Amino acid sequence: MFEFLIEYSSMLFEGFITTISVTFFGSLVGFLLGTLLAIGDLYGGKIASTIIGFYVEFFRGSPIVVQLFIFYFSIPIMLNVYINSFTVGLIVFALNSAAYQKGYIKGAMESIYKDQFLAALSLGLTKMQTILYIVLPQALRIVLPAWSNEFCSLGKSSAALLTIGVMDLANVGKTIASHTWRVIETYAIIALIYFIWISIIVKIVDIIYDKIKIPGISA
Amino acid sequence: MKEVVMECRNLWKIYDGKIIAVKDVSLQIHEKDIKVIFGPSGSGKSTLLRCLSMLTPPTKGEVFLRGECLTKQGIDLNKARARIGFVFQHIWLFPHLTALGNVELALRHVLKMPKKEAREKALEALRVVKMEKWANYYPAQLSGGQQQRVGIARALAKNPDIILLDEPTSALDPELTGEVIDTLRSLAKQGTTMLIVTHEMPFAREVADEMIFFDQGTIVERGIPEHFFTKPSSDRAKKFMERLIEKTAGEQNV
Repeated sequence: MFEFLIEYSSMLFEGFITTISVTFFGSLVGFLLGTLLAIGDLYGGKIASTIIGFYVEFFRGSPIVVQLFIFYFSIPIMLNVYINSFTVGLIVFALNSAAYQKGYIKGAMESIYKDQFLAALSLGLTKMQTILYIVLPQALRIVLPAWSNEFCSLGKSSAALLTIGVMDLANVGKTIASHTWRVIETYAIIALIYFIWISIIVKIVDIIYDKIKIPGISA
Repeated sequence: MKEVVMECRNLWKIYDGKIIAVKDVSLQIHEKDIKVIFGPSGSGKSTLLRCLSMLTPPTKGEVFLRGECLTKQGIDLNKARARIGFVFQHIWLFPHLTALGNVELALRHVLKMPKKEAREKALEALRVVKMEKWANYYPAQLSGGQQQRVGIARALAKNPDIILLDEPTSALDPELTGEVIDTLRSLAKQGTTMLIVTHEMPFAREVADEMIFFDQGTIVERGIPEHFFTKPSSDRAKKFMERLIEKTAGEQNV
């Protein structure tokens, strides 16, 4: 029933690699950038907080397809450089994910008792040291389940890459379906691949969450 | 003459320009001194301690630590705070760090000790408060009394010039209070300089060099413990002492 796909296996594999690359890159860079945005929003003063607010609202308030188009068409015009669609995908997914992750991380940081700051201050720690050694290690543990959700969501939204011509898993599926007219079988397999790899990652994150769990701290 | 470790001169703390929490307090604490501050809730005792340790900047007046003025412009307050131990009423251990991690933190990152030395010092401090067996436990796995002993070890490990304790037992039940008091008693015997806000009167009577009755943001009366147990001069202190003694007797009869 699915033998026809053997012919397309290398194409499927490349599409799969493209999809997981964008998802991993987007969620990891989004995580680092989201953490910096959360710190900037909480401790950077009013101006930083307002700028971060605009950034977050832009990425949360518009569809990712529109964001992909904006970056894909405007960067070459504004910067006068050629940039391939895969790179645009990496950039947009990282920036988009950072906007969401900033919200999760900020919430987790705010949930940490303010008096711990006073205790840190009494020990002679600076504000940066307090963020680094007291706030972040707790906040990042708390945020992990939300991060797992974000990863799932990003993995699935990566299908939007086909709109700017990136040969991701969904686009490969579309190509195979249009070549073979075996639409249902093709998309069933594509859906299964998404399901399996996303489930594996979610399971791994769950295991990490259990491993780094500390009595008294939970999401 | 013993050296003055900590001093404040004409210290004021006024919130929002009108609420006076600390009013013109002057105080000297000498090397190896143990001073006990007591007084009604809301009288400004905690605020005074926080001003002395510069956790809250005083509105007016000066604070000195071994002769160095902490209230003047440009002083590195983090460095100054590292020389003052502070024990909080509600403890505030860092929940993601073990007992050892809590004690080690300032040694590693404030005093910049090498890892091995910091670990040895932290274990030594935990030994002093008899918590070395619990070094690898997280705060949530310890009782309130044990947590407070770790809190004391955390303040002690930095080898501070003075330890300020803000009602270290008032969030604990009588049994747990006992174990914390025992720890403080042994610190007192070792000659640790301490300023303690407490209402544990038998303990105060036993270890304090001086007791200070604090009310409405200021020192109302001060003297050796026997003075308060026999003939406090102000009515306010007399009534407060009577109530405290009644309460202590009541607890002992339970």
